[in-house]
Amino acid sequence: MAIKRDDFPLPDVDDPLTTPFFAGAARGELLIPRCETCGEYVWYPQEACPRDGGGLTWSAVSGRGTLFTWAVVRRAFLPAFADRVPFVTALVALDEDPAVRLCTYVVDTAPEQLVADAPVAVCFRPLEFTTVPGRSVIVPMFTLT
Amino acid sequence: MSETADWGHATDLDDIRAQVAIAGIGETAYTKASGRTAREIGAEAAERAIADAGLTPSDIDGITWSGAFADFDVDAFREHFGTSHEMWTSPWGGGMAWAATAPYLAARAIREGEARHVLNVFPVAWATQRASMTGGPGEVHAAQSLKQNLEVPFGWFPQPVYFASIMRRHMIEFGTLPSQFGAIAVACRRHANLHPDAVMHGRPMTLDDYLAAPYLAEPLRLLDSCLISDGGAAYVTTSVERARDLPHAPAVVRGVGEGYSASGTHWALQRAFTTTPQVFSAPRAFAMAGLSPADVDVLTVYDPFTVVSMMQIEDMGFCPKGEAGRFVEGDTLFHDSGKLPFNTHGGLLSHAYVLGIAHVVECVKQLRGVAAAQVPNCEVAVYGGYTGHMASTLVLTKDR
Ligand SMILES: [Zn+2]
Repeated sequence: MAIKRDDFPLPDVDDPLTTPFFAGAARGELLIPRCETCGEYVWYPQEACPRDGGGLTWSAVSGRGTLFTWAVVRRAFLPAFADRVPFVTALVALDEDPAVRLCTYVVDTAPEQLVADAPVAVCFRPLEFTTVPGRSVIVPMFTLT
Repeated sequence: MSETADWGHATDLDDIRAQVAIAGIGETAYTKASGRTAREIGAEAAERAIADAGLTPSDIDGITWSGAFADFDVDAFREHFGTSHEMWTSPWGGGMAWAATAPYLAARAIREGEARHVLNVFPVAWATQRASMTGGPGEVHAAQSLKQNLEVPFGWFPQPVYFASIMRRHMIEFGTLPSQFGAIAVACRRHANLHPDAVMHGRPMTLDDYLAAPYLAEPLRLLDSCLISDGGAAYVTTSVERARDLPHAPAVVRGVGEGYSASGTHWALQRAFTTTPQVFSAPRAFAMAGLSPADVDVLTVYDPFTVVSMMQIEDMGFCPKGEAGRFVEGDTLFHDSGKLPFNTHGGLLSHAYVLGIAHVVECVKQLRGVAAAQVPNCEVAVYGGYTGHMASTLVLTKDR
């Protein structure tokens, strides 16, 4: 088994590839890597722009997007989720570039109220699991606007 | 999305039309947790395929397996059969999408004189491994750091969640109905009930049963999902001329295709979210074969979830994009009365989750006329392979 972190399934905020994402969330900013050469957003984060090899800078985006799709998870596939089901996990397409889709939670709305392509806005909330006591990570979640 | 879309591409393959044929097939029992290792299962599948081809292990001078799940590779072959002769090898065979392209690799090796009889083998023991909490598809996925940090913490994990999300988007874009996904599951179960070796044999299922099944991740139900199984299969590819000297009628490899998405391997980021790379692969395979979807007598596709079947039926050209929901309703997919007999062994949903290798074996059986749910006068059998960012197509026909 390759997963040895005792805080799994919290994100590994020390993984250099995604550290700025979670550091930004902790400050209340949604940051996405952007190419210094062509200006395109590059998601998921990687070492360099796949189009032109340009360097990437983590850039603040508006936090506005649309609800691309979602699932109402009813079975806990990992023990950490046993006391969370049912919950809504979603893909949100960002307004700046809809090809940038974030896996996220849509909160403060009943699942039956969700509508395809509805506008959503980011909020920053602590993510906690009872299986990882005493630890939390601030992450971007979304609400309907 | 069309083949000219810039979100992916087809691989340029040599024309191997009618150069090679599948001359031998072998299967193990398909079961829930068996306590066997994948290596043992692979050895048994290999023995049976070689015997079915009327050959001996020393005749097998080429072998392909899946490098990602290398349970029965060339070393295992030599150890099991006690052979030491030179063999042409490739780890780009086995199951999933590679169950379709392994005969292409074999054709090239045979043409170059590097091998005469090439074995492709794929075993899996995920049911046994799941019982001991190791292995299985979830672990493969959870181990990737981007998924660990950007998907799993948000509950976007594992495969049932990915495909529930794809399913919902297909419903959003095309108006596809739950009962239409159910029609696929019902057809697969119907075929499994005609197939004594299927894991779900003796477990009938109606559309009402499907609609009453619990959700794993809404809109995806338990009965939209594949099994987790132990089992394996293998097949032997040789030249068409050589195959004609062997005991069974050759299943001639008439076309092969392979297509890739340019969006990487993460499902969340597939630009064409409700389209598979079959739109690149299938037209190439049909073109090589000189056939069209209308010529197909039986279709098997890699079907981990009903939506993957739905999308591939569209993307391979059996109906216009977005219309598979209406297309699959009723008896369309049934082996006897349907216009597109589909996963006639029961598929990953109801036969066994052996990752596509049994789909190819089923195609061969249909062409031989010995399938459990036999399609009358079956002359053209097609397998559609899928691994997310990759798809492949294998067109097999009777020798003619
Ligand atoms: Zn760039």
